[in-house]
Amino acid sequence: MKSGSNLERLLRAGHFAVCGEMSPPQSADSSSIAKKCGYFKGYVDAVNLTDNQTAIVRMSSVMSSYYVLQCGVEPIMQMTCRDRNRLAIQSDILGACSAGIKNILCLTGDHMKFGNHPEAKPVFDLDAVQLIQMVKKMRDEKQFLSGDEIKQEPKVFIGGAANPFGEPFEMRVLNLAKKIDAGADFIQTQPVFDLARFQKWMDAVREEGLDKEVFILAGVMPVRSAKALHYMKESVPGMRISDDYIKRMEAITDKEAAMEEGVKIAVEIISEVRQMPGVAGVHIMPVMWESITPRIVEQAGLLPRPELPADEPAVTGLER
Amino acid sequence: MSKVSENFAKFCEKHPRLYACAVLAENAFKKPVFRCQDCGQCILSYTAFTCPMRCPKQMRNGPCGGTREDGRCEVYPERHCIWWLIYRRAKRMGRLKKLRRIQKPVDRRLQHTSAWLNVFAGKIDPPSWGKD
Ligand code: SF4
Repeated sequence: MKSGSNLERLLRAGHFAVCGEMSPPQSADSSSIAKKCGYFKGYVDAVNLTDNQTAIVRMSSVMSSYYVLQCGVEPIMQMTCRDRNRLAIQSDILGACSAGIKNILCLTGDHMKFGNHPEAKPVFDLDAVQLIQMVKKMRDEKQFLSGDEIKQEPKVFIGGAANPFGEPFEMRVLNLAKKIDAGADFIQTQPVFDLARFQKWMDAVREEGLDKEVFILAGVMPVRSAKALHYMKESVPGMRISDDYIKRMEAITDKEAAMEEGVKIAVEIISEVRQMPGVAGVHIMPVMWESITPRIVEQAGLLPRPELPADEPAVTGLER
Repeated sequence: MSKVSENFAKFCEKHPRLYACAVLAENAFKKPVFRCQDCGQCILSYTAFTCPMRCPKQMRNGPCGGTREDGRCEVYPERHCIWWLIYRRAKRMGRLKKLRRIQKPVDRRLQHTSAWLNVFAGKIDPPSWGKD
């Protein structure tokens, strides 16, 4: 056990994990976090707290993860390389771990050009692979990147992202392999809207045996309208959306009914990826629609969420 | 690297004018040919002789998640994603396995120094010339 986080324990015990996602508030008021925690408690095993997602300023992922923890929900703190250099990242990780945060998702980060401060200086001192390697060094070698000793190492479960839908396809498998080499324990993928492509990627992943070395959680994004799908298809680079889903959503004009269809599609995608060998869980990430999470988890038949006592050693044949 | 080249590098470092000439010579070649960004720790031999530092996110270990279907960069759609180019060239040149190597964080102190002399002086890893 590397971190002892709930997510790690469940995955190692062979359970199919469920993660949620929450964007921190664009305000100095944290009360919305507690409210949103109600959508997650008992429904997901851990919840991602985004780090200035799409380069729009929000409350820091460190503080919001801390608030989530206080509400009794396990956070996955996202950490990007866009806004912090290696010093700042390491100090934030120490702080976060001292507060009891046990999962960190290491990302390169969206470029500022897309956000609300496009004129800012891009930091990108490290990239995601180097960040993963640095966190692993801090945890396993008890050393800062500089080689200086850390008295109390940060015990974290290290995550990385993978995009099975970006180009060039072969590079996407190689990238995953590099993140595993660097020290990733779990991987969250970009949202699946193209099952054939995801299947193809998983086949390639299994062929290299990578699914045995890391826990792969498939991304699932429920959408409320055909417009959202169109937007992603046209304006979000690196996404693939199959026309089937667009047609299905377009066929429905009523707003409420469209939302139902969105839930139905998400549940379908979950049951499809669940069948695929090597998929260890799902990461449900509704954008600004966190309240739908419980219904999706329930309809996908993923309730109740398993609970493991904190100190029970995991019995497993899965050595990852 | 050999003792001779190491001594040569040290000699250059002690003579600022000579060093400036070495940088000039390196840049005169690498800038037009590779559009080198002068990071001082060249990994061109690992990236199919395509400089990854032109990526707006300075990705040295592979593409970000945003490469478009037509191979364009997510940040600047008018350019190709540098990693899309690297991948294509590496495949053509039989250098795909070299992409698998994890590239260390950049030592920012080496910006605008001569990567060639840095190799001679043993400050950075030597290039890997042969094919996979
Ligand atoms: S698309 Fe390619 S060039 Fe553009 S930021 Fe991503 S990795 Fe860099």
